[in-house]
Amino acid sequence: MRTAVTGLGIVSASGIGVYENLEALRNGRSGISDFPRILETSNMLPVGEILLINEELAAVAGIGAGKNLSRTALLGIIAVKEALKDAALPDGLRVGLVSSTSVGGMDLTEHFFAEFMNDSSSGRLRDVVMHDCCASTEAIAAYCGIKGYRTTVSTACSSAANAIMIGDRLIRHGILDCVVAGGADALSAFTLNGFKSLRILDDKRCRPFDQTRAGLNLGEGAGYIVLQREALLDKVPYCFLKGYANRNDAHHQTASSEEGNGAFLAMSDALSKAGISPDQVDYVNVHGTGTGNNDLSEGKALKRLFGDKIPYFSSTKGYTGHALAAAGGIEAVYSALAIKYGQVWPNIHFSEPVSELQLVPQTSLLEGADVACVVSNSFGFGGNCSSIVFAKD
Amino acid sequence: MGLYVSNITSDSQVVTDVKVLVPDAGVRRRMSRVIRMAVSTAVECVGGIEGIDGLDAIITATGYGCLADSERFLRNVISDKEDLLNPTPFIQSTFNTVGGQIALLRHNHCYNMTYVNRIHSFEDALLDAFMRAEDGEGGRMLVGAFDERTDSQYEIMKRMGLWRKHDCGEGSVFVLLTSQKEDSSIAEVLEIDFPSDSIGEQDIAQRYGCSDDDVILYNVCCTMEIYPTISASVFAQAVEKIKKGASKVLVYNEMWGMTPTVVILGCIV
Repeated sequence: MRTAVTGLGIVSASGIGVYENLEALRNGRSGISDFPRILETSNMLPVGEILLINEELAAVAGIGAGKNLSRTALLGIIAVKEALKDAALPDGLRVGLVSSTSVGGMDLTEHFFAEFMNDSSSGRLRDVVMHDCCASTEAIAAYCGIKGYRTTVSTACSSAANAIMIGDRLIRHGILDCVVAGGADALSAFTLNGFKSLRILDDKRCRPFDQTRAGLNLGEGAGYIVLQREALLDKVPYCFLKGYANRNDAHHQTASSEEGNGAFLAMSDALSKAGISPDQVDYVNVHGTGTGNNDLSEGKALKRLFGDKIPYFSSTKGYTGHALAAAGGIEAVYSALAIKYGQVWPNIHFSEPVSELQLVPQTSLLEGADVACVVSNSFGFGGNCSSIVFAKD
Repeated sequence: MGLYVSNITSDSQVVTDVKVLVPDAGVRRRMSRVIRMAVSTAVECVGGIEGIDGLDAIITATGYGCLADSERFLRNVISDKEDLLNPTPFIQSTFNTVGGQIALLRHNHCYNMTYVNRIHSFEDALLDAFMRAEDGEGGRMLVGAFDERTDSQYEIMKRMGLWRKHDCGEGSVFVLLTSQKEDSSIAEVLEIDFPSDSIGEQDIAQRYGCSDDDVILYNVCCTMEIYPTISASVFAQAVEKIKKGASKVLVYNEMWGMTPTVVILGCIV
């Protein structure tokens, strides 16, 4: 039995919806702005921000005024609605949701807490009821009409990849026929300052896999895919979810091991689960955040796994910024599109390979390629390393 | 293939000195209160730090995660006007910190997952373990839940009217599960269900085939102090009942307006 990918939904700094994102990828157009325009912060750092305030996002999501949903939930609703519309599921299927987030309703909590800090009887409670991660999942399910089993995971930057894995298991075990899986995360002062305090934000555009890379740009967005039991297909899917693995680097709470142990184990296990050998991989959508540590570690893992025959690879963080828990969902959508359109997305802002690696990503749009198998990588704090394998059949 | 409870430990049952459980002084010093509570419970549950070596999965569950660290960092962001911030509370605020720390203690590269689904988090983690066992990927799995109480959380939830019947609690519970029945097995997880609606007390027994001898535990009746993952501690009570001779115990978990979960434990046969 195979699990098919039948619907895609996305909102990122590169655009709202699959079409706008696809156009950005094809044209090598970054969605990263020089500084935050919506987020209230004094940090004038580049971010992958969606240039709509929450009320405007609510309008895009088709939600009436005054609902006071968190930005994470709004982004999730927009993407999940698109994914479900795209999948056009037949009636009668048991549909569930596996969502993920790392900040949850932090954008609203920040407003609440600034007042609460000074006076514990102040601050609007409606700004804190969506604080926990589960609140965004429940809101997405309610506004998108998902009634089956739903859960929420949070494994930092690998979250959405893990959500997709769990989604597949729920289908294989007969608990659901269909799962909408992915992640959503909004920009927040909390995370922007968090990554700033770790000194891993670049004050210029991020340059994944480049010798001069100096950190990541934080992003926001949501990416969800609809997974469906193959036996229930009534149309040609984008691709199939063939394998996946979740392994822990177990090296450091925030840094990756020099040899990329977790990344290597995740990629190699995912491929063996898929029954695909490394030489059959056509494209790797790397995690490629643009930090010195990640790209070196991931690059070493690529060399360990693929040897001299490195497939086409690129990071799409230069388009969207690093959208944390949403990153794996956004990149799952990009991976499915690569297979469907036979295109490999250029790694923008690259000029010089990392001296220790000498790896050159795909820097121009590759068209008319037979992209039959894609590996998508997502790695996070806590050593969480996850890889997913998508294939044409 | 099934899902068998090999050991279960609550934070109140941790008797070993934390210096023995987590020998690295630097690691211990950096741990926040909830991380120390949860990691100590986990290490005690697997019989000491070497017990982490043989784990094939580390699956954690939390409703609110590391609240004190989240609050500390947020407070600093606001009061220090986004300048010169200490990253430690930010790093430790991440929901998967506990799962990552357990793996890191012994450099265990196994499957590592964190569920953050409010009152369903622990049952979602159990379901994950259940599916892994059925897939033949089970082996030895550590599943744990934790939540901490903070003054701000207490105050905010008090204003929301959530402490009228119960008080605000905290705790951690870790359970060592195996996919094969072993000599050490003390109970079997027979079923994990997520009903779409509340089930009345009179209907539960019939729906889940419970006889008069079977025990039904309701999370909101078993304890005065509650927290999002309180059902993990009720699960621990259920294991105790099995140890004392009950053949089947059902844990019914429903509160805070969420749909219920049902977990059924059976004695080893």
